[in-house]
Amino acid sequence: MPRETRARSIFLPGPSRLALLSFLLFAACEGRQSALVPGGEDARILGDLFWVMLAGAVVLWFGMNGLFYWATRRSPAAHSQRIANWLVILGGIAFPTVTLSALLVYGLSIMPDLRATGNGPVIRVTGEQWWWRVEYQREDGSTVITANEIRLPAGVRSTFLLDSKEVIHSFWVPSLGGKMDMFPGRVNEMTLGPERPGIYRGQCAEFCGESHAWMAFEAEVMEPEAFEAWLAAEAAPAVTPASAEAARGAALFLSQGCGACHAVRGTPAVGRVGPDLTHVGSRHSLAAGRLGTSPEDFAKWVANPGAWKPGAEMPAYDHLTGEQIDAIAAYLEGLE
Amino acid sequence: MERSDHDRPSHPREDEHEFSEERESLWRITLGPTIWAFHFLISYAAVSVYCFKFERMFSMGALRIALIAMTVAMLAAIAWIGWRAFLRWDVRDTGEFSNPEGSAEDRHQFLGHAGFLLALVSFIGVVYDTLPLIILGTCR
Repeated sequence: MPRETRARSIFLPGPSRLALLSFLLFAACEGRQSALVPGGEDARILGDLFWVMLAGAVVLWFGMNGLFYWATRRSPAAHSQRIANWLVILGGIAFPTVTLSALLVYGLSIMPDLRATGNGPVIRVTGEQWWWRVEYQREDGSTVITANEIRLPAGVRSTFLLDSKEVIHSFWVPSLGGKMDMFPGRVNEMTLGPERPGIYRGQCAEFCGESHAWMAFEAEVMEPEAFEAWLAAEAAPAVTPASAEAARGAALFLSQGCGACHAVRGTPAVGRVGPDLTHVGSRHSLAAGRLGTSPEDFAKWVANPGAWKPGAEMPAYDHLTGEQIDAIAAYLEGLE
Repeated sequence: MERSDHDRPSHPREDEHEFSEERESLWRITLGPTIWAFHFLISYAAVSVYCFKFERMFSMGALRIALIAMTVAMLAAIAWIGWRAFLRWDVRDTGEFSNPEGSAEDRHQFLGHAGFLLALVSFIGVVYDTLPLIILGTCR
């Protein structure tokens, strides 16, 4: 019966279909934004919690279905009142009480680890539509301002002071730990203890408007010395343009009024509305994880931000010629 | 000799007597959950007010000890209520696990049964309320 064979091939998973299915299931477990591939202490603790809960759920699932099978196929006759009473007392009262108590004690016992006090840098992160204002608060009282990227030293707990400008956002780097909401007018404190150097991905985890899905960031965990060197470089003013094209771009950047919203420290551009661009060329991504950082990416963004991030406040600079946009892109890309 | 209350000719005023007691018993079954509710309310309110207003002024030690003492007292009260309800249920003498008949005596024992189970769940609830206080012991 050819019809039936055909139907089977569609609905029953063959080996290749199973492979595809498992790929789709497990693809999300790999990579730099997975809570199941921990890059730090917190994610490891939460990952353990997940596996413990999953293992318990699997055991319960088989146990309950085993009981259904036993009660309907193996021993379908009515049980005595006595056995039924004990089944309810043991299975309905004693077992859930013991299991829930154990889970509650386990859950409570890991909470202090996740809320341990920070002993590393203090970073204030403010959610804006749809990017992240990042301020490193140094011990000497000075502040290093950057945006859309977090760098952390491995092996110490960094403290995050989370705030928001207009709507509720949520700060989450799944590979490094749990998430925490960012509320306007309230500072939430969270600490993270990254351990494994690498570049992870963070994502806004609370719907915050049109471009919520495009509100991401890169989180790089570095060796402590490398981190200190990076922070010192980040605190320095912007480099001067290295080429004639970049110098033209710098002049255009100022004449087009970009400095009203963006700051490039060491230049007349001191705006605080949009992201600080002093070292934008050294970041791993542009526009909060939306684009890469090649000159082409900068040009694409400057020409029409709304095409990449619907609702973004930055206007399109499509009245400029391609050459002018390329010059601005060369300038920004060179700001390392 | 087995007791068989149902066969015994009842005293004309016995039902009335049982019924008046049963009204009390109806109130009594709410005592366990009420204590649990107050325990939750007091613990939650005390810890949140302390953590919000006084965390930096003094340590949590005294508050913890006071709340744990309150918990012990409330657990003892629930245990006593549960024991009284267990006796009212009278399952050991009658062997009757459930009392579906609707006679005055059945209602009486049913309320004991319900009161006992409510006391049990209240006891577990109060223990669960207190675990964070014992295990965490800080505002963090």
